[in-house]
Amino acid sequence: MILDLIQNSFDGLAMGASYALLAVGFTLVFGVLRRVNLSYGPAIMFGCYAATWVSFSFHSNIFLLLGIAVLGSVLAGTYVERLCFAPHHKGSAIAAMVASFALWMQFEEVVTLVMPKHLYDFPPMFDAEPLAIGPLSLRAEALVMLACALAICFALHRMLYRSRFGLALRAVTDAPVAAQLAGINVPRVLLLVFLLASAIGGLAGWLIVSTHTQVTPMLGMWSTLKGLLAMMIGGLGSLPGAVIGGLALGVLEAHSQWFLGPQARDLIAYLLLFVLLAWRPRWMTTSHG
Amino acid sequence: MGVLTNIGLISFVALSAYLLILAGEMSFGQQGFFGVGAYTAGVATAMYGVPLPIAALMAMGAGAAAAFLVGLPTLRLRGLYFAMATLAAAEMLRIVFELIHFQREIDGEPVGPDGTQGFRGIRWVFENGVEREGYLAMVWGLLFVVVILFLIVERSKLGATLRMLGEDPELARMLGIHVERFKLGVVATAGALAALGGALYAHHNTYIEPRNFDIMLGVHSLAYALIGGLGTVFGPLLGVLIDIGALEGSRVFHGYRMIVFGGLVAVLLIFRPRGLLDERVVHWLKRRLA
Amino acid sequence: MTALLEVRDLVTAYGKIEALKGVNLDVQQGSITCLLGPNGAGKTTLMMTIAGILRPRIGSIRFAGEEIAGRPPHAIVAGGAALVPENRLVFPNMTVLDNLHAGAYQRKDDFASDIERLFTRFPRLKERSTQLAGTLSGGEQQMLAVARALMSRPKLLLMDEPSLGLAPLVVEEIFRIITQLHQDGVSIFLVEQNAHMALKVAQHFYLMEQGKVTFSGTPGALAEDEVIRRAYLGSARA
Repeated sequence: MILDLIQNSFDGLAMGASYALLAVGFTLVFGVLRRVNLSYGPAIMFGCYAATWVSFSFHSNIFLLLGIAVLGSVLAGTYVERLCFAPHHKGSAIAAMVASFALWMQFEEVVTLVMPKHLYDFPPMFDAEPLAIGPLSLRAEALVMLACALAICFALHRMLYRSRFGLALRAVTDAPVAAQLAGINVPRVLLLVFLLASAIGGLAGWLIVSTHTQVTPMLGMWSTLKGLLAMMIGGLGSLPGAVIGGLALGVLEAHSQWFLGPQARDLIAYLLLFVLLAWRPRWMTTSHG
Repeated sequence: MGVLTNIGLISFVALSAYLLILAGEMSFGQQGFFGVGAYTAGVATAMYGVPLPIAALMAMGAGAAAAFLVGLPTLRLRGLYFAMATLAAAEMLRIVFELIHFQREIDGEPVGPDGTQGFRGIRWVFENGVEREGYLAMVWGLLFVVVILFLIVERSKLGATLRMLGEDPELARMLGIHVERFKLGVVATAGALAALGGALYAHHNTYIEPRNFDIMLGVHSLAYALIGGLGTVFGPLLGVLIDIGALEGSRVFHGYRMIVFGGLVAVLLIFRPRGLLDERVVHWLKRRLA
Repeated sequence: MTALLEVRDLVTAYGKIEALKGVNLDVQQGSITCLLGPNGAGKTTLMMTIAGILRPRIGSIRFAGEEIAGRPPHAIVAGGAALVPENRLVFPNMTVLDNLHAGAYQRKDDFASDIERLFTRFPRLKERSTQLAGTLSGGEQQMLAVARALMSRPKLLLMDEPSLGLAPLVVEEIFRIITQLHQDGVSIFLVEQNAHMALKVAQHFYLMEQGKVTFSGTPGALAEDEVIRRAYLGSARA
């Protein structure tokens, strides 16, 4: 029983690390734009499909595939930003969101046209057996996932507080008009944030598909939903919150799946979100939303 | 024929999303109430032999009640918070549909919702000799009634209150409108409307499964209202017509439908962020017609 | 003197409503020019249009001989005009120091000495340099907004009602700073409701009403105009 709890918590943290990365990407965009990008997950899916296609057609070196996944996500993200967000900076949030949904439909159809099967194999990160530590088994992929999440958070934090771009990003988040008056090229910052979020998303996508060793078109919706969920649980618009929200969601899901099954897992995750929203504890409201 | 019926059916959800947009709320969850309506009416007719008209009323009641329960704790939420709360609620409903195994033996066959296996044999329409044309007429007749009701409301003081609530809730509050109670009423009405669509949908398809009621339907209904336009009740209908009618109905873009539709929508929204039939166009049309 | 800023026939509209209906005015190099006018006259719209936040519908804005109408705000800051906006608009969740760094965003050169100089000018900001700007008092935030604008080393400082909502002592302090900046060679275009204070510092006045300039003249001419004196100077003699 105790062992189960430990094992589940560890598996949950590993899964949660990927949620955290997804949520970080979401939060970066939401923080500066105050807009929801429904196409966030589908753009990641596009990148992962591009990597899958390369692995079937040419080569399946894992670093090559990682590069393709990130590049594909960034390309798709640029397309989304140019078409759905750049034209709506001052305009309607709901129009931007619905436009991003429209592109979601495009991404799904493009990948299913090129690769029509419902499921494709994706090369795993390693061929290694899970490490056994006493009665617990630790998958190496899980360790990589956690390490990547930590590294990205650390790098982001440094970028935010040590670099010129980080300063601009914080300024735009804090007071967009003041940022313009301070001489910051706001549309360019917004585009760069979008690209950064897409790149992090691409990394998260690659981690997820190479851990699961398969790709399906559902990855798009799944990534958007998990990213949104983790971001909302962590309190809208705060990066540390997104990380905590992602990890918490992962651990909660792991336990509820183990004890109650997969449907209960999703039910509990949504119930938690609903209760948090209705109850609105302070950490969810104080972050500027 | 099937396409026409589908346009009618989906229009109910699109209108329920539109009603909430008018009141200033964006819901990602109308598909949940559509599902509640479908399951309620299906259980009533297929398992207990209730006639469809009564079952449809029961569905509307259930949809309104479910929406009321969702609305009550989320009344103070706005914008993305409300959208996410409704999404969470609808996803919970969908998972509940997956968990329901509730069947009765009828003529030696088990009938009723069977979790992810879905709910087969909702055959009231066939068993009662309603032709496909007749059913189509019924769907569009009901839709016509709903549209007329919308038009009446939009011209009345109630409609003005609704739009004011959407544009400036603080102003509405200062003018003495009980904002929370009013919003709850709108949420419940929209739930009933979606549920009516669901009841009709279940009896058109004779088979429903939890997957029918996922977030895709919800975001589509929002998109329909926004593409068609927020200026008039005909906006959402136009949105449904463009998507299901022109693109799915015609075989021209077979295989590329979503690429074409998605691109069109994104470009359209750049130039018309409140849809084709937005308030300005509607105002202009009214002046021309008057 | 040559005109540093020339505004000609400027029209800015919100939808169908024109807030500026053909504005003409000049700010001379090395001057303090003050714009008076009632609320809703379009003063803030004019400032936001010059700063590039709002796009004019028609008209021209020439700054240091170059046409800047319709340029993006960051290009205008780079060109040497910085706006201290109405209600200050600091970055509330960033430290005082970061606010100043953000003000120097355009600059590629070393600006550490600028910060030192500003800290000598605004000692309160130095004391609070690691505090979040949102925790400062209104007067301190105003000082910060001015200091942030100065970080870009502007030739022209646009100030939109810097005394709004501040205590009289703080207002005097602000005007003392305006005079100092002027002595240092910065041209200043000031929107002000507090005509008494403005009369002490400005060399030229404009009055704007309902989107149009309705008066242009020296402080002397302003004080002699009966209507303006009643509306803006009360019963007191200038």
